[in-house]
Amino acid sequence: MAAVQGGLVDAVEEKTIKSEPVADATANNSANDARAPSSSPGSGVSPGVNKPAAGAAEDQQTLLAVLQFLRKNNLSESVEILRREAGLPEDSLDQKGGDSTGTGLGGPEADGRTDAGSLLSRVTVSSSAPSKAVAEDQPDVNVVLSAYSQQGDPALYEVYYSGLKKFIETVLDCHRAELSQVFYPLFVHMYLELVYNNHENKAKAFFEKFSGDQECYYQDDLRVLCSLTKKEHMRGNETLLDFRTSKFVLRISRDSYQLLKRHLQERQNNQIWNIIQEHLYIDIFDGMPRSKGQIDAMSGSLAGEAKREANKAKVYYGLLKEPEIELPLDDEDEEAENEEGKPKKKKPKKDNMGSKSKKQDPNAPSQTRIPLPELKDSDKLDKIMNMKEATKRIRLGPDNLPSICFYSFLNAYQGLTAVDLTDDSSLIAGGFADSTVRVWSVTPKKLRKVKSAADLNMIDKESDDVLERIMDEKTASESKILYGHSGPVYGISFSPDRNYLLSSSEDGTIRLWSLQTFTCLVGYKGHNYPVWDTQFSPHGYYFVSGGHDRVARLWATDHYQPLRMFSGHLADITCTRFHPNSNYVVTGSSDRTIRLWDVLNGNCVRIFTGHKGPIHALAFSPNGKFLASGATDGRVLLWDIGHGLMVGELKGHTDTIYSLRFSRDSEILASGSMDNTVRLWDATKAFDLETDDFTAATGHIHLQDNSQELLLGSYMTKSTPVIHLHFTRRNLLLAAGGYNP
Amino acid sequence: KRRKVKFPKDHEVMIQILKDMGITEYEPRVVNQMLEFTYRYVTTIIEDAKIYASHAKKSNVDADDVKLAIQCRMDQSFTSPPPRDFLLDVARQKNQMPLPLIKPYSGPRLPPDRYCLTAPNYRLKSVQKKVTPSTNRISVPRLSVGGVSSRPATPTLGAPSVQTVTKVTAPVSLTNQRFTVQIPPASQTSTTKPTTASTPAVSNVLINPSLIGSKNILITTSMVSQGDSLKRKHEDDDDYDNL
Repeated sequence: MAAVQGGLVDAVEEKTIKSEPVADATANNSANDARAPSSSPGSGVSPGVNKPAAGAAEDQQTLLAVLQFLRKNNLSESVEILRREAGLPEDSLDQKGGDSTGTGLGGPEADGRTDAGSLLSRVTVSSSAPSKAVAEDQPDVNVVLSAYSQQGDPALYEVYYSGLKKFIETVLDCHRAELSQVFYPLFVHMYLELVYNNHENKAKAFFEKFSGDQECYYQDDLRVLCSLTKKEHMRGNETLLDFRTSKFVLRISRDSYQLLKRHLQERQNNQIWNIIQEHLYIDIFDGMPRSKGQIDAMSGSLAGEAKREANKAKVYYGLLKEPEIELPLDDEDEEAENEEGKPKKKKPKKDNMGSKSKKQDPNAPSQTRIPLPELKDSDKLDKIMNMKEATKRIRLGPDNLPSICFYSFLNAYQGLTAVDLTDDSSLIAGGFADSTVRVWSVTPKKLRKVKSAADLNMIDKESDDVLERIMDEKTASESKILYGHSGPVYGISFSPDRNYLLSSSEDGTIRLWSLQTFTCLVGYKGHNYPVWDTQFSPHGYYFVSGGHDRVARLWATDHYQPLRMFSGHLADITCTRFHPNSNYVVTGSSDRTIRLWDVLNGNCVRIFTGHKGPIHALAFSPNGKFLASGATDGRVLLWDIGHGLMVGELKGHTDTIYSLRFSRDSEILASGSMDNTVRLWDATKAFDLETDDFTAATGHIHLQDNSQELLLGSYMTKSTPVIHLHFTRRNLLLAAGGYNP
Repeated sequence: KRRKVKFPKDHEVMIQILKDMGITEYEPRVVNQMLEFTYRYVTTIIEDAKIYASHAKKSNVDADDVKLAIQCRMDQSFTSPPPRDFLLDVARQKNQMPLPLIKPYSGPRLPPDRYCLTAPNYRLKSVQKKVTPSTNRISVPRLSVGGVSSRPATPTLGAPSVQTVTKVTAPVSLTNQRFTVQIPPASQTSTTKPTTASTPAVSNVLINPSLIGSKNILITTSMVSQGDSLKRKHEDDDDYDNL
């Protein structure tokens, strides 16, 4: 009986999957994947045998539902054609009608052909609550199209849930932690089912009784759920709708899973089992069950954890090779390094430099994997400058902490919403809630606009300082204000060549400003909802943006439409960052997950879960191997991109972390937060670990509780939340925030 | 801290709602803003519902009317982002296309002009044939352009005070424009006051549209300037521009 039920649910589930493609960008055909792990360890042969029969029945069902729909809409010719082509017998329709009207309250009969019929009849009963004539064929189509096709008796939901609770409490300790993961998704789905089927009072009672048992980190979600009591409320909430249709992923060891399955299948009421099969994806692994601590570290997101195969794709996290630059012969340049072994004219280098550069880093993407803009002369000059500064860089460490220079924005009245600095720290820009963008010069050199065309015609184009001459002295000022947006500016980013500034705003557009003329050049329209963050790629030309519409878009400055769309998050994307090699984009979202996307083909290659609140800060280490993330829960989590695992957790902040930055050589990680502090952490020690094979294979992490040792210093500001951090090329730390008395 | 003041009932209800949704710290004016929104929203819905009820020739407004009103308003003002399956579909289509190659040496990489905001959005009306007593005046050429849609990146010419600036509303593609630039004959010297803008005689110059609309705004009128009559203010430019 149980096996047949399982097969039937499979059938209905596959049908719903067909009409609403739920497949994620990574997991194709998740329905089948779900079936395989959940049914194969169980009853062995019988689901397999039933599958073809169930499959045929399910196809029949779909066809019949379509036929009925066409018939209802008086599309008789289409009905005929479909019937002919599908080879359906003439009387199938009438029999279907007969079933739905006649059998009425027929219980689940385990009888070959009429399984589908009885299933339908059960559903038509439940959804004929708005007491229409049951000859109406409408319910069949609703069955096919709705995600909640099963419905048990609402009064019994509490009983089922309490029963499960009691069972899990009696289970062995080692299994209890794993099985408790089931509570939250089950609770939410059962509650939503009650609400969707208009059992408002029962839903409220159910919520009252069991919401207190859930984990503390789900409190925010529960609060949102609490306000949702009617079906109409669910309509506008995209996040909840996505939650309903996507599968919550749980990772449970095989032993614990067997226990659960045995318990649920031996009981008469399989409502919970049905819900589990329909809405949960159980990723089974062989091995020791995980402890509560391990589970707590990884859970907290709206979609459960990440499936193991979601994190198995190869990621090229290495850095791109630096291009060859011929250094100008300069007397003061004695220690200037040569790149790529190109021999200097004064001192020809030997082959040792050459061999180092010729070997391709296996983890680095090839230079031509994605098209990148070529290096202009000004870029080469920039790189040379960078190298010169690098030689004068201070080496930081636990005994040599950076000095911190804090830029407080006064009179912002909580209106400062975004800050960015150029890489060479010469310009600072702020985005404000009054929709302006202001640019200041950090150095004593003032900001100037380019002369008008008329004046440019007059200057000597051959002179050495032509770049100075094209600037109009009369427009020199400390700061410039850029007007154009019609909503608060939430994201801001300088281009690496300091020619452009990007700003993203609540009005749904991203604007490209020229820093030569201080005017707006382009408005990129694509998101129709607030854009929460944007960033230029480290090589220029590309930029990424993410917003309320749950997709991140990759743009190029010379295309008015996005080049890539990264879709998969369940809630708003709050933070978007490029990897140092520009081949990957990482997005942090309000659904508490972090996803790494491949720019080449738009696939999601990594999913990181573990934060308990929306993610607001992301930072890649300069060597491209590691990622640090900060969220509203006040924790900084450290991730190894290659293996796709969490490698560290830094506790200490008491409020949302809004900015993270690695120092230039990855020695120090600085974090700034709403609790008005900047904290410095020892990054070399935090990432100094070997990921053994066991951890890599199973994904079981063992986090050390060493936040205290890793904390190198904590610096308070006078009531100014820190929203931006920047290490200069010489490893001086600059911080920015709006003074908030 | 305990409040001594008693608020009106609506105010208390709103405070309770905020507390239920977990918001504990807020400025006092937030409650007023929320109440204002509530009043406006409810009034709009009820008015719509009244219209629907009268359309259905009902004497009383009932729940169905209100539901219909809410639904219509929701589709209008409170839209939500597209559903996930739609987004996944669109994303899949978009991501299949390979990344376009980047042309080298193409100057500032911007979209085609019609998608940029770099065109002038004003047109200067010409004032014809005003006689000036002295020839030592700044001669400012006027650029008249057909309808354009957006703000200028840099005004290529100063806005003279005598002219009237008409803002053109109809957006027209730039590529088919005929640009007429009226450039007065060479009057060499510059004066300190750039605001006098009369021109003795004007000559029309047609600019090839392919020159304008290029991404490099620096070369627009310089290509057609005749002589150096386009100077404006030059107090301190002499150092730079001495040839």
